[in-house]
Amino acid sequence: MEPHAGPVRRRAPWHLRANALVVGWLALTVAVAVAGDGLPAPRWLLIHVFLLGAVSTAILIWSEHFAVALLRARTPDPRWSLARLGLLNAAAVAVLYGVAAGPAGVAIGGAGVVVAVVVWHAAALVRLARRALPGRFGHVIAWYVCAAGALAAGGTLGALLAAHVGHGAVHERLHAAHAQVNLLGWVGLTVLGTLFTLWPTVLRTRMPERTRRASVVGLRLAVPGLVLLTGGLAADLRPVAAAGLVVYAAGALAALVPLAEAVRVRRPHTGAAWMLGAGVVWFEVALVADVVVVATRPAGGVAAGLEPLLPLVVAGFAGQVLLGSLLHLLPAVLGGGPVRFKENAALLERGWVARLAAFNAGVVLLALPVPRPLAVLGWALVLAAVAVFVVLAVVALVRAASAERASGGHEGGGPAGGRGGAGRPVLSPALAGVVAGCVLTAAAVVVAVTGSTGAGPVMAATGAKTVEVTLSGMRVRPAVIEAAPGTVLTLRVTNTDAQRHDLRLASGERTPMLAAGQSAVLTLAPLGGQVEGWCTVAGHRAAGMTMRIVPVGALAGSGRGTAGDTAGGAGAGHGAHGAADGTRAGAGAAGTGLDLGAAMSPGWRPYDAALKPAPGGAEHEVEIRVDDRAVLEVAPGVRQRMWTFNGTVPGPVLRGKVGDVFTVTFVNGGTMGHGIDFHAGANAPDEVMRTIQPGERLTYRFRAGFAGAWLYHCSTMPMTQHIASGMYGAVVIDPPDLARVDREYLLVQGELYLGEPGGDAQVVKLREGRPDGWMFNGTAAGYDHAPLEARAGERVRIWAVAAGPGSGTALHVVGAPFDTVYKEGAYLLRAGDAGGAQVLDLAPAQGGFAELVFPEAGAYPVVDHTMHRAEGGAHGLFEVGAR
Amino acid sequence: MTWWTVVRFAHVLSAALWVGGQLTVSLVVLPLARRLLDGERRAGVMRAVGRRFGLFTGAVFLPVQLGTGVALAWRKGVTWASLAEPGYGRILAAKLVLFCAVMAAAGLHGWATGGGRPALARAMAVTALVGSAGVVLLAAALPAT
Repeated sequence: MEPHAGPVRRRAPWHLRANALVVGWLALTVAVAVAGDGLPAPRWLLIHVFLLGAVSTAILIWSEHFAVALLRARTPDPRWSLARLGLLNAAAVAVLYGVAAGPAGVAIGGAGVVVAVVVWHAAALVRLARRALPGRFGHVIAWYVCAAGALAAGGTLGALLAAHVGHGAVHERLHAAHAQVNLLGWVGLTVLGTLFTLWPTVLRTRMPERTRRASVVGLRLAVPGLVLLTGGLAADLRPVAAAGLVVYAAGALAALVPLAEAVRVRRPHTGAAWMLGAGVVWFEVALVADVVVVATRPAGGVAAGLEPLLPLVVAGFAGQVLLGSLLHLLPAVLGGGPVRFKENAALLERGWVARLAAFNAGVVLLALPVPRPLAVLGWALVLAAVAVFVVLAVVALVRAASAERASGGHEGGGPAGGRGGAGRPVLSPALAGVVAGCVLTAAAVVVAVTGSTGAGPVMAATGAKTVEVTLSGMRVRPAVIEAAPGTVLTLRVTNTDAQRHDLRLASGERTPMLAAGQSAVLTLAPLGGQVEGWCTVAGHRAAGMTMRIVPVGALAGSGRGTAGDTAGGAGAGHGAHGAADGTRAGAGAAGTGLDLGAAMSPGWRPYDAALKPAPGGAEHEVEIRVDDRAVLEVAPGVRQRMWTFNGTVPGPVLRGKVGDVFTVTFVNGGTMGHGIDFHAGANAPDEVMRTIQPGERLTYRFRAGFAGAWLYHCSTMPMTQHIASGMYGAVVIDPPDLARVDREYLLVQGELYLGEPGGDAQVVKLREGRPDGWMFNGTAAGYDHAPLEARAGERVRIWAVAAGPGSGTALHVVGAPFDTVYKEGAYLLRAGDAGGAQVLDLAPAQGGFAELVFPEAGAYPVVDHTMHRAEGGAHGLFEVGAR
Repeated sequence: MTWWTVVRFAHVLSAALWVGGQLTVSLVVLPLARRLLDGERRAGVMRAVGRRFGLFTGAVFLPVQLGTGVALAWRKGVTWASLAEPGYGRILAAKLVLFCAVMAAAGLHGWATGGGRPALARAMAVTALVGSAGVVLLAAALPAT
């Protein structure tokens, strides 16, 4: 303790500085609310800046303060308290950043630290209580400890949410449990526990006799109720959750009885008292509404049902209680003797009637389904009330600081000093400067990074186009919409997912939060420049729920790759890809520096190109298992992860006769959803081609009605990524009169994209149609290193399938014309005809075969005669021996 | 190496001197003055340091910074309209506004020092320092191309 610190200021220094943190978070809350739509996940940020930042910091400070005061304990070492506070604030920043902008890992780590800090805090409180003499107020500490336990649970649930554990309904249930346990537990229990002593103090009356009993009964009901509620929501047991909430509400009521008695004795007469009282009333209202929501909705719908209640709880209850408490407590902590106390109290309560009325009117407007201008008015009222408090509090803090210095000035606070020996100022000018500088910088950064204008010149409308947009599985489909400049686009946005999403465009249009199955229509201004769109639910943008609207002719790859998912109604991309292909791809392949002449890694085995004859029988049973962690040699010396069927690229070859039935057991042994699509079969896609999740399996039964060389591939969106990553294979159905030949080979040609499958780099190259190379049977130039064998004079049949995803093939054997060509179910040329053929040309997903007879011994290259592809790896050798 | 390299070099060097000078005064000169000098002489020394730094700001830093900055923006093709566009323009605009705020804080610091308001003067000095770091942050955020 410093020498002449007054009795009121015993704990003043660190408490005051800590309260500056709370005021800072409140100011940030106002800033976030005002910045609103410019921010990623604005709604989530607003709630969490306020609750995780301001409210949690305040709870940490004040629950310890009250515990010390009530237990008449010795002040614990402030260093540890400050450490907890610092950790909590750092963790809060990590969570806010991680969820809103950064990698989820940051948010999860932050949540972990939050949980650790509150557990530490609870342990510190327990230690305080153990060491203190038994007193009248020990029961309050139990509320604080239980509240900390609730945040530990709620924080853990939050980390699970940030990690996207569980999708759809599971996610919604975890969300509901997270919100309930944090609001009712961490905030609710703390507030109730504090009010036992704070409320009589604010009213300047005695604590009612029955307080202790009410406290014990209340806590005994509230905590088990909370456990049941949280467990019931998480485990999808509605009756349990509803019962838990009712028990909790009963506990809260029991705890409020002595408060009501106090009001009977002495009516509230200060702003602090009225704000606290109003906050408690909102708590009651929200609890009743909460009971109705939890009792009448399935657990998966609770989070959506609670949405309208949030303003009540967050602003009406938590915000108002926080403001009311600070109104009452700040003058006391600012200290400086009775005169200054009165001055500060008067300053902080200035105009409290109007502020109280404005705040609560605002809460009512926010809670009711009013038209947008009224809702904006509600925000303005609430925020104005908060802003007035922030300004007054800052004035009071600064005043206290200068008064402090005046009293300590004679100790040698020189002109540039401001840091007298005794008068450690409550808010040093340096700290004030740091805060001011940081606020200025933060404001400038916000201005710098928001891109909310519909940039570009105002366009005249030249046409109209309606596009169906679906939100599902962390994707916006289509991911790219192309339209001519000037087009008036109408987006019909439908959420087909089991969890809530919305769509917000950088040009300002946004849908409301859409529950499962809901739709909304957005009509855009005539298209000028590129417009980004994303889902504002926390974390979804980072997970890839983004889209772009591109004026046609401006599809140059820019920004980060979102998804090459060009399926859907917009007709995006493929034409452009095809056009780009011929001109740019060669340069791309050359630019990547694949060294096709390099040695293959030791132990590499080529995919066996020799095609075995069809097994006998008309029924074939096959198991195809997804392995999306296989590491394969895709080019000489280049090994990378591929997504595969059965661990190879291409997947296993299926061969049979016309009319054969294939029963494929498709097992997803991978790490994400996959599906399979056999072109050779005739089935409604809905069931057999559906995406199945890891660990699931399905049976795909098809009858091969037609002969040909057929493609099969993964049917999960975005297919570009799944096919480009290696999920394709061939089904060979022999034509009825297929002649015997000496050798049969199968070449499946595919594009090679280097890099992590599904990664940003791959996606950008996919969208631009710029593969790094081309492969026969999964390895670029593989058969240059392991040539295919034949003998002079032998008839060789080369089956070929073009897997793409973007390019086909012009298959050619150097030095040996084809005398037979069979393409897509028909002979274009038969042996014995006068004509010959030089190329078997296949568009992406087509298949066929060509036959030839090697005239003499030698090395005959087999290539895709689109020469840049040949030079990019679509190249192999026939090593032909003497007859 | 073109003349534009020299212009950019002058811009960066001048900024480094300004931010570095503030840091040196706050982190090196001030603590030492507090320790080694009594109140009277410290006030005199700090006033002199402040006056000299203010002179440097007005005579060298501001002209160089504004001149080279305007030239660089002109070369870049920045227009008033483009300042509002997201991306380069918006970041540059934010940087300029923050720079003006920093200059205002520095000016207030000088005024408060002269007017015998040490707390305000110190707060403004730190505000200017932190804000300058913010300007550098925004400068680093400007896309390179």
